[in-house]
Amino acid sequence: MPLTAQDLTESPRPRGKGRPRTVETAAPSLVELLNLVRTGAANTRQELERQSEFGRAVVADRLTMLGDLGLVDESELGTATGGRAPRLVRFAARRAAILVATLDQTAIGVGVADLSGKLLTEHHEAADLTAPPAELAERLTALFRWSMERHAPQGGIWGISLSVPGAVQGATEGDFLTATPPVLPAWEGFPLVETLTRDFGVPVWMRSSVETMTMGELHAGAAIGTRSMLFLKVGRRIGAGIVCDGQLYRGAHGAAGLIGSLPVTSGGRSGPLDALAGSDMIQREGLSAAQDGRSPMLADIQRRGGEITAIEVSQAAQIGDPASVAILTKAGHLIGQVVATLANALNPELIVLSGSIVQTNDILLAALREAVYGASHPFVTRDLRIIRSQMGSSAGLVGAARVASEQLFAPSFLKEWVMQGSPLAHPAFAALQDRLSQTAPPPPPPRARTGQELPR
Amino acid sequence: MTISGLGPHGERAAPPERVSLLPDDRTAAKAAGWRVAVVLHTLESDWAKQQLAGMMGIFGDCGAAVIDVVDCAFSPDMQVSELDRLISQSPDAIVSLPVANEQVAAAHRRVSEAGIKLVLLDNAPTGLLPGKDYTALVSSDNFGLGKIAAVGLSAHVPDGAKVGVLGFAADFFATNEREIAFTKWLQVNRPDIIPRIHRFARIEDAAAAADDLLSANPDLAGLFVVWDTPALAAATRLAERGATMPVATVDLGEAAAIALAQSDSFCCIAAQQPFLQGIAAAQTVILCLLGRPVPAWIALPGIGVTRDNVVESFQRIWRQPAPREVLRLLGLSRGK
Repeated sequence: MPLTAQDLTESPRPRGKGRPRTVETAAPSLVELLNLVRTGAANTRQELERQSEFGRAVVADRLTMLGDLGLVDESELGTATGGRAPRLVRFAARRAAILVATLDQTAIGVGVADLSGKLLTEHHEAADLTAPPAELAERLTALFRWSMERHAPQGGIWGISLSVPGAVQGATEGDFLTATPPVLPAWEGFPLVETLTRDFGVPVWMRSSVETMTMGELHAGAAIGTRSMLFLKVGRRIGAGIVCDGQLYRGAHGAAGLIGSLPVTSGGRSGPLDALAGSDMIQREGLSAAQDGRSPMLADIQRRGGEITAIEVSQAAQIGDPASVAILTKAGHLIGQVVATLANALNPELIVLSGSIVQTNDILLAALREAVYGASHPFVTRDLRIIRSQMGSSAGLVGAARVASEQLFAPSFLKEWVMQGSPLAHPAFAALQDRLSQTAPPPPPPRARTGQELPR
Repeated sequence: MTISGLGPHGERAAPPERVSLLPDDRTAAKAAGWRVAVVLHTLESDWAKQQLAGMMGIFGDCGAAVIDVVDCAFSPDMQVSELDRLISQSPDAIVSLPVANEQVAAAHRRVSEAGIKLVLLDNAPTGLLPGKDYTALVSSDNFGLGKIAAVGLSAHVPDGAKVGVLGFAADFFATNEREIAFTKWLQVNRPDIIPRIHRFARIEDAAAAADDLLSANPDLAGLFVVWDTPALAAATRLAERGATMPVATVDLGEAAAIALAQSDSFCCIAAQQPFLQGIAAAQTVILCLLGRPVPAWIALPGIGVTRDNVVESFQRIWRQPAPREVLRLLGLSRGK
C-alpha cells in the first residue's frame, strides 16, 4: 500500500531544534536514486551505493521510502556472483500510466503507455483535423476513456502527452502546459489543454509530430542505439527531426527542423518545399493527370466516384502508373536536395522517412536516395543508411510517451512531487487545477440525428 | 469497396490485389519447396475452417508443404509453447493469429529473430513492427465491420433506447476495432442511443455476460456482440429470459446465417471474407519468401448481410451453397 502525503510529512516523532525533517532532506537523494533505477543505470543496492556515493543506510532508507510509495520494486532476485543472490531494484513502471495521442491531418491515434514510455496498447482511426475542435476534443476524450477502461492500472494515469502537426510554441523543457498553445488556425480559441486537464485531472504535454516521431524512432524503431539521425516526415508539411549525440535537438524554441519552409525551384517555379513537394502538390498533380488523360488509373478512380488524394497517387505510382511515378519522383528529388544539404551539415548515420505517402510507395524513397547520394560528399554517404520507418504512426505515440515519461521524472520536476508519491500533488499542478476549477468548460459540440453518417 | 479503418500502426490498407501471384511466382515457389506452419486461435469455427481452406489451396498451387496446423484453443500460454516448438522445426514461414497482446508478443518476436518469415492474421501485438518483427498483417477491415453492424442495428432501435455491447475482454486488435467503430458510429449518428458495454473473457462466458447486461439494463432494446459464436449464445440466453431484441454481430457462420434467416432476433451481420483472407495470407507468405516487398497491412472489406441477401452472401463468402435450413426458412427450398 503506497504511503500518503500525510504519512510522510506528519511524523509523530519529536525532532531536534533546527534540525531539518527527513522529508526536507530526502527529496534530492530520492530523485537521484529513483532515476538511477528508472534509467537502468543501477539495479542492485550495491550499484546504487557505488553510483550515487550515498552510504548504505541512506540507500536502504530511501529505497524503503520509494518502495512504500510504490515507485520501485525489490521482489526479484538477481544472479549470485559468489555469495547470496542480490535483490534486484526495479522501477515500478506499471505504478501508473500515461495517455498518449497523435493528431494528424487525416488521422487520430491514441494509446496507453507505462511510466517507462513503453506502449501497452494503441488504436488509430481516420479523422479530419479541420473539423470543429470541440468535436475533435470529444472524440479524443471518448477514446482516452475507452483506453483507460481497458488498460489503465489501478494507480490511474499521471499525464497526457499529445503529438500535434506543427511546432508547439511555449513547450519548454520540463513544463506541462497551463494553456493551449497556438498550433493550428482551426483550433484557435479552443481550450484543448484546459479541457483535458479538467476532464482527466492530469498534466498535459504537447510536442510537434516530427519531434515525437523522432523520439519514437530513436527509442523503439530503426534508430535504437543511433547517435546521429535525421528523421523526415512527409505530409502536407515536411519536417525534419534531428538527433545529435543520441539526443533530440529541439533548438531555441522547439522549432528545429522546419525544412518545409526552405525555398526550392522546380520546373521554373520557386516556392517553399511544403508547397512544391508536399501532399497538397501530389494530390493537385494527381488530379490534373487524371483530368488531362495522362493517368488512366487515376481517371478510373474518379470515374468510379472515388476521391483522389496523395495516398491514391502514391498507390498508383507503386503499381506502375507512369504519371504518378513522375509526380512522386519529382517530390522525392526536391526533398532529397534539401535533405542532402542537411546531411552534409550533420553527417548522420541514418535517415528515416515517414508519413503515409512514404509508407504506400517505394518511388519517393528511391528518388530521395538518388538526390541525397548525388549531392553529398562521399564521406557523408559512405555508411549512410536511408530507410523507410516501420513504425508508422506508432512512432508518434511512443515518442509522446517518452516526452511525458522524461518530463515526469526530470529531476527539477520530480523533486517537487516525489515525497507525495504522485505528480498530481506537484504544487504547480495543484495550482493549475484550482484555477481551472473556477472557469467554465467549453460547451459540447452540436449534435443532430441524421440517420446517415455525418460528412467528416 | 472502401476500407474504413487504419492498421495497427495507423497504416493505410493495401487491397488483396497487391499480393496477387503471377505464373512466374508460382513456378519459382514450386522450385523452392518451402515448409510452412499455421497457428490459429481455434480450428473449430467456420471462420477458421474457411481461412485454412483458402490458404491450403494457394500453398498447394505453390508446392509449399504445410507441416503443422496448430489449434491454440484461445490460450496465450499454449500459443507461446507451440510457437517455440515450431521454431525448433525451422519452417520457412509461420502464419499466426496472435490470441492476445503482450502475453504472446515476445514469442512472435522470437519467430522473426529465428529467421522465419512471420505473417500475422487479424492481430498485431503492441510493440511488434512490420518489416522487423513480422512481415505483414492480413485482416478484415474490422473498423468497417463495426460500422456496418451499427448501421444495421440502428434501423431497428427506437429513439432514446439502450443498446448493449458485448465486447471481448482480451486485448485483441480485431475485436477492439469493431467495438470502437460500433460505438463511434452511434455517438456520431445516433447520439440518442445509450450504449451499455460489457465484456466476456471466454466464449463460454458470453451467455452469463448477456445475463449481467440485461439484469443491469432491463430496458435493453438492442445488442451488438463482436462475433457470431458468442452472439448466438447471448441471444439464446436473452430469449430464455423473455427478452427479444434485435441483435447485430460479425461473421456469417452457418448457425448465424440460420438465425438471420429466422429473423427472430438477428437483424444484421457484418460478414468477413475468411476464404479470400486465407488466400491473401498465403499469397503474402509466398511473395515474402520470394523476396518481394509486401504491404504492412492487407485488408479485406466487410459485407453487410441481412435476411434479404443472406443466401447470395453465404455463397459468395463460403463458396458453398447456403445451408438447407436457410433456404427452407426463406421459402427457396420447398422439399423436405
